[in-house]
Amino acid sequence: MASQAVRGGARQVKPLLSLDNEEARKRALNLYKAWYRQLPYIVRQYDIPKSVEQCRQRLREEFKKHECLTDVRVIDMLIIKGQMELKETVHVWKQKGHIMSYFKPTAEPKPTDFLSKFLQGVN
Amino acid sequence: MLRITAQKSLAGAKVSPKHLFPIFSRSSTDVAKKPEKIEVFIDDKPVLVEPGTTVLQAAALVGVEIPRFCYHERLAVAGNCRMCLVEVEKSPKPVAACAMPVMKGWRIKTDSEMTRKAREGVMEFLLVNHPLDCPICDQGGECDLQDQSMAFGSDRSRFTDIDFSGKRAVEDKDIGPLIKTIMTRCIHCTRCIRFASEVAGIDDLGTTGRGSDMQVGTYVEKFFLSELSGNVIDLCPVGALTSKPYSFTARPWETRKTDSIDVLDAVGSNIVVCTRTGDVLRILPRINEDINEEWLSDKSRFAYDGLKRQRLVTPMLRDACGELKPVDWEAALLGVGKVLKAAGGNITAVAGGLADAEALVALKDLVNKLGSEAVCIENSFPLDGSGTDLRSSYLLNNKIAPAEEADLVLLIGTNPRLEAPLLNSRIRKGYVHNETEIAVIGPKIDLRYDYIHLGEDPSIIRQIENGQHAFVKKLKSAKKPLVILGSDTLSRSDGAAILSSVQSLSRGLQDEMCDPEWKVLNILHKVANQVAALDIGYTPDLSKICESSPKVLYLLGADDCGITRADLPDGCFIVYQGHHGDQGASIADAVLPGIAYTEKQATYVNTEGRAQQTLVAVTPPGLAREDWKIIRALSEIVGAKLPYDSLEEIRYRLEEVAPHLTRYGCAEAANYFCEALELGKKTNAPIDTSPLDVKQKTLEDFYMTDVISRASPTMAKCVAAVQKQNLSKY
Amino acid sequence: MLSNIKTVGRLWHKVLSRSLQTSSVLQHDSLFVHRDTPEDNPDVSFEFTPENEKRAEAILAIYPEGHKRAAMIPLLDLAQRQHGWLPISAMHKVADILELPRMRVYEVATFYTMFIRRPIGKYHLQVCTTTPCWLRGSDDILNTIKNKLGIEVGGTTPDCMFSLSEVECLGACVNAPMIQINDDYYEDLTCQDTEEILNELKCGNKPRAGPRNGRFAAEPLGEPTSLKSEPPGPGFGIRSDL
Repeated sequence: MASQAVRGGARQVKPLLSLDNEEARKRALNLYKAWYRQLPYIVRQYDIPKSVEQCRQRLREEFKKHECLTDVRVIDMLIIKGQMELKETVHVWKQKGHIMSYFKPTAEPKPTDFLSKFLQGVN
Repeated sequence: MLRITAQKSLAGAKVSPKHLFPIFSRSSTDVAKKPEKIEVFIDDKPVLVEPGTTVLQAAALVGVEIPRFCYHERLAVAGNCRMCLVEVEKSPKPVAACAMPVMKGWRIKTDSEMTRKAREGVMEFLLVNHPLDCPICDQGGECDLQDQSMAFGSDRSRFTDIDFSGKRAVEDKDIGPLIKTIMTRCIHCTRCIRFASEVAGIDDLGTTGRGSDMQVGTYVEKFFLSELSGNVIDLCPVGALTSKPYSFTARPWETRKTDSIDVLDAVGSNIVVCTRTGDVLRILPRINEDINEEWLSDKSRFAYDGLKRQRLVTPMLRDACGELKPVDWEAALLGVGKVLKAAGGNITAVAGGLADAEALVALKDLVNKLGSEAVCIENSFPLDGSGTDLRSSYLLNNKIAPAEEADLVLLIGTNPRLEAPLLNSRIRKGYVHNETEIAVIGPKIDLRYDYIHLGEDPSIIRQIENGQHAFVKKLKSAKKPLVILGSDTLSRSDGAAILSSVQSLSRGLQDEMCDPEWKVLNILHKVANQVAALDIGYTPDLSKICESSPKVLYLLGADDCGITRADLPDGCFIVYQGHHGDQGASIADAVLPGIAYTEKQATYVNTEGRAQQTLVAVTPPGLAREDWKIIRALSEIVGAKLPYDSLEEIRYRLEEVAPHLTRYGCAEAANYFCEALELGKKTNAPIDTSPLDVKQKTLEDFYMTDVISRASPTMAKCVAAVQKQNLSKY
Repeated sequence: MLSNIKTVGRLWHKVLSRSLQTSSVLQHDSLFVHRDTPEDNPDVSFEFTPENEKRAEAILAIYPEGHKRAAMIPLLDLAQRQHGWLPISAMHKVADILELPRMRVYEVATFYTMFIRRPIGKYHLQVCTTTPCWLRGSDDILNTIKNKLGIEVGGTTPDCMFSLSEVECLGACVNAPMIQINDDYYEDLTCQDTEEILNELKCGNKPRAGPRNGRFAAEPLGEPTSLKSEPPGPGFGIRSDL
């Protein structure tokens, strides 16, 4: 029984793109570079009130957020999504608001108790 | 002169039945023998009607609406617009439906060729002398003439006067700061004249000249000043009389309409608040046969511009220099909370007349939780005897609507014309149509009807009670007597004695009544939510509270209590919660901005004990918050958390306190009249000799009585107009 | 074909009749709103003279209790006769006597054209210019008066003696042309008669009222022109075989 479970856990899964960690790393770096190079054009095309420098910082932040990931399939999926985003951005299928939403601060949770609702004026 | 004189009725002169129809229909139940009904046919639909019913009323019974301009259900029939012409079979000419009583077997055709042609002809004549200024007319969109010319008029004009020599033009009149006149638009329906003379009792409007030169107006330069004058705006079927404050503001289809309740007097008239983009643009009456019919007093209708001025929009705390400084809610609540905690139960709350029932109950709960019982209302009221424990001693027990059926009204120390204009219009209705006699004990005031002035001395009440006064005979012989006691009288030092005296005199009359539903004893309040406050358990002993030297005085919209800093001990912290910066806010150490009646869903109980609720029409300005929520938030800061978070929950609490407060639309009757009387007898205090007085004596005193109307520029203009009129020779 | 022509004809008639509908309203010469003037304002006091006071009481006595407002027109007329015209203070006086709102009196006073609400001359000359009088030369009469007094229609002489107005039919067509001066009719006028009347009035005399061409009333001028023979006896004009 136990050996079965171990076999099941170690079962070879179908890879999304990368076969190992190294390949995934390369893909991530590639995506990062692609975004990095594209940023000046994005800033100009979308006329966003951000400098290229700020955008680079935000880009780095976004990649750093997923620093701790080790599962290749998860990394691959994020890379695929990142590429889709990049494509949409480069082709100007997005609008200014969509780009700016990358910079949106994390939404605060809505107040639930009476007093904080009262103070915020939402009830 | 409108009044049908006693001699005339004695002589058996026939009173026009259609004139009195509304009243007779009310009391028709006690007519022993009903006259036989007659059958008529409206568009071949048979209908059985009472004899004397007009064609128009018969048609209304089967749901056929006949177009009309001059006819109005609540006014006498004039029959001069001719728009209601209909064909009656076998009659060679069309008949005016509003004035013609039906005969047996008549077949009325309301959509025949002849009828339609008659309407078209009338419409054409009206339009020949009506300007084509609909685009700049304020009535556009709610104009009877516009609507009916679309429905019944011709599709083309034969008026080809390209030289513009023939259109009638009439000069505009200046009839005051409320009503704008464009008299060229007038179609001479005379509704305004009939309203002025029948309902308002001000015979200042009339027709002058004749033929095509006839015009409606005052002839001399005179304002049409009445406490009900605004209603002619609603009555006018065209744009001849429009609202001056509302002129060129909005079209009716642009506004959002919210049903609500008026709070500027104790009648609780039903209103519609018209708003656009968060602004109250105007207030119109809503029909409620039990309260305001379809009228509205001028203060209720026009004081809405006071809602935009002098508003408290942010919490404020008094700083070290003694100045009120705006702060945010957190700071304000913490500041007030700290003081409340430190007061240790030595707290007094005073509620004003505009405070809603939700806020009242929340404040009372909070104060009680903090260990104080001192919650009171601004107006003093006798506490001896039964005091405010029994509802019968502070309600208008007989309700507003039946006031028109009374045959004898005794007014004691009250001026219903200015304190409750719509109750006064009921009394006047009885006076005009029902031979009601009115007697007054109190100052000589203008009530717009004749009355017997018994004097100003309050001892007259006792004389009547003991049967020594000559007036007793009349009271005894009356079938439906009504005694109305004003709240001004009750706030006298001898209020308890007067109340018990009036109770006992009413009891004597009540015992002889055959109709148990008829209540003789009535108290008339002046402010909107007095009854709710007393129901919830607020006490009227304001003066005692000042003596008890509270550490914190919490004013909930209390601006008229007359408390000054000097009345209070040093270091007393005053919190004012309300929506207008008036007297209360000026003496306060902390100001918590509440909201006005158009901005909240709140419960109000009128003087007859009828609970009604206002609905949210506009959003509150600035940081202002709903009153009960402020108190609820404060309770949490203080550490005495009130157990309700939502409107449903606080309404549930209201229901616990007094179940009738949430039975909206129903007037909860009072009982225990005898018990109140017995308790009252124990007081045995003497009545003063100082003459009875009322605060509002002339029309000038009517317009600015509370924080909203005091902040209203329109009301200020009305006061100025009355003063100007007083100087005029006409 | 024929019916077509008929229809076209009818349409044409319609078009014509439509174009005839233009109207020109003659505005009334007096105002129907009150304007304060030095002669006519509420400060001008008006009281009935003692004898008119008695008359007023007599008038009021005619009407039963509760219907006293019916005395309004006679009282207004009395006031107008006393004052020469009807000032606003007289209306107020009548309203006070009848205990009516003033507006109710204003309504009546403005309704009737014979209540004159502005100062007027001692003699009010009302020239009838309706068709029968006009055919018989009322224009000449009117011009004579205008020239003689130097006033236009609606005007008053500077000495406040004469006022001239043009009126519609006064019901004396058989004696056309005619004028009414205060309460009297002067009929069958020529220009010369008119001048005579005016001269006499100027001298302070009261000219004889009635026809000026020798007639007593409305009988034919000279001798009768019809029904001159004796009236026929019974049986006149009946078939002989009856």
